[in-house]
Amino acid sequence: MGTTFAGCLGGGNGNGDGGIPETITIGALGPAESPMGDSILKSAELAVSEINDDGGIAGADVEVSTKDTMDQPGTTREVYQELTTGENVDATVGIFGSESLLSIMENIAQQSTVHLTAGAATPEAPQLVADDYETNKYWFRVGPINSVFLGESQLQFAADRFEAMGWERVAFLAEDYKWTEPITSDIQQRLEEEAGIEVTGVRRIAEGTEDFTPIYDQLESSDIDGAYTALAHIGTNALVQWAQQQRPFGFGGIHVPTQLPSFYQATEGAAISTFSQTTATANSEVTEKTVPYANAYQEAYDSLPVYTGYSAYDAVYMLKEAIEATESVDSDDLVTELEGMSYTGTGGNIEFFGPDGRFPHDVRYGPDYAQGVYFQWQTDGEGNGRQRVLWPDDLEETEYQSPPWA
Amino acid sequence: MVSAISVAADVLMLGALYSLIAIGFTLIFGVGGVLNLAHGGIITVGAYSAYAVEAASGSIVAGAIAAAVVSAAFALALYRGLISKIRHNPVTVLILTLVVAIITEQAALVVFGGQELVVRQLLEGTVTVFGESIQRNRILVFVLSWVLIGGLFYFVNRTRTGKAILATSMSDKGAALVGIDSEYVYTYTWVLAGALAGLAGLFLASFQTASPLMGRNPLLLSFAIVVLGGLGSIRGSVIGAYLISFLDQITIRFISERLAGVSALIVLVLVLLIRPKGLFGRELVEE
Repeated sequence: MGTTFAGCLGGGNGNGDGGIPETITIGALGPAESPMGDSILKSAELAVSEINDDGGIAGADVEVSTKDTMDQPGTTREVYQELTTGENVDATVGIFGSESLLSIMENIAQQSTVHLTAGAATPEAPQLVADDYETNKYWFRVGPINSVFLGESQLQFAADRFEAMGWERVAFLAEDYKWTEPITSDIQQRLEEEAGIEVTGVRRIAEGTEDFTPIYDQLESSDIDGAYTALAHIGTNALVQWAQQQRPFGFGGIHVPTQLPSFYQATEGAAISTFSQTTATANSEVTEKTVPYANAYQEAYDSLPVYTGYSAYDAVYMLKEAIEATESVDSDDLVTELEGMSYTGTGGNIEFFGPDGRFPHDVRYGPDYAQGVYFQWQTDGEGNGRQRVLWPDDLEETEYQSPPWA
Repeated sequence: MVSAISVAADVLMLGALYSLIAIGFTLIFGVGGVLNLAHGGIITVGAYSAYAVEAASGSIVAGAIAAAVVSAAFALALYRGLISKIRHNPVTVLILTLVVAIITEQAALVVFGGQELVVRQLLEGTVTVFGESIQRNRILVFVLSWVLIGGLFYFVNRTRTGKAILATSMSDKGAALVGIDSEYVYTYTWVLAGALAGLAGLFLASFQTASPLMGRNPLLLSFAIVVLGGLGSIRGSVIGAYLISFLDQITIRFISERLAGVSALIVLVLVLLIRPKGLFGRELVEE
């Protein structure tokens, strides 16, 4: 990857004089070996190549420098430093794990370089902006909606759909990672009070759990209709064992691996009837940009993106808009511009909370902003798996189906 | 409340799988007196070989054969290429096998990616036993594990090569005096241990999924089982495997699933402190 010196060195990474350099470099970070990271890196590259084909940003060429975080906080820190001090990039996008994001919040502040998160959902990041705006103002999140909103969304989905799905008694399964903490803190009480659902319990499952049999034995004996999930890192094992053991309850909620467009095939059909919240699916018209992006990605990489990709792609375009509007790559100028921006992206209408908002610099949640969709894996006439949208109403393609063995 | 039958079924089936996981580790220690830290790596090789061959051929039987053959070849290459030259230095063996384990993990990550991969079950579906539904695959793995363990007992006690392995494990010098070629015996043992570990890898992956780091827990488990059963004792390993399986399931179900695998480590520490030679000491003579 080429190195670019963006003007003179001063005032962090941005140009002290606020001009536009000959080449603008954007750093993209993600765990390259995982589909979530792969989608970040490829989507950033896709956006940059489209932008270059279209005349660049304000006439400047754009380069993207991709770095593998290996989903490890330590590695994330190293590669972030490499990007910002070594390669002197003008802004960064990406990061999948919340632990990885939190490990570089301090570095983002030190480098005073705009970072647009795509992938990590922890609300601790905007809390840092709220606590010390001047220091942490360079951080923004394009997607997904943060975990507090993910919890809200799970509540909303339960209230809107569980009755029709026949899910009266559920157990909540969350992986014991940072991003699920805001979800599980009050989900049981709220599901019971606001959605009228009977919740047998909330389990936080430890990292590294490999055998889900004892957990499912207990869920089965408590006679639930469905396991409502918040799983990402340990989701595949959980899902495959649920399917192979043909457990007599439904399975879904937020499940990151099952969002993978290739997941049905990869699990030899184990994903059937599992459902998940996601930013968008390849054929859901969240906005007029969603499907064209998925098609362009398919064209370029012969596969479809996962949720992180939509946000990484939007993030690069938002940087383009901000740089062109301010005619500068100066970080402080970009922060001001991004704070006021309303951008129609692939994942919805992206707007950030202001410095005094509920979650400063975080993406807003709701039908007018970014809301996400819920889809379910169903089979078409030929037996191929299809992700079909269940929620919200205006994008609904189909109704929920129970697992074939339940 | 979860029924006692489903707990018992899990203990029985996991015990068989754990036995198979640990047995190769025991064999190599018993015969060569070295600890093979690449044992988990061989398990990973078996799982991925089965996955790749099954994906290419569509046959899980071909996948199972690949798991055994590729892992045996891997173990053979490991022994002939590295270990045989330094087998008299246990510390060097430890370091080298650890490095091989790490390289194996990285290779799996690069070739197959970090995502967990689904290895097709040998048998699909479930059957109902005493009102509990149990996966056919688990029952089959239980049966196959016992067939392999039984075969190993027969081999060690009834065949010339097997007896040579037994003799070498008891006394290097004695075996040499009666004309047993120890190098041949060591090679044979590594190949055998490799094939068994490879099949264990396939079975484990069909219970769960295959992932680059999947060999780590089995290695720790093998340590615990082998120390508990007595280093070098095949029978001790089988009994140790069942004890660990029982302890682990009880811990998971009645205390917390967060403690999965912890009971094995506690047992490991206790045995080393209280009865270092384990249940069956260093013996390989099967009555």
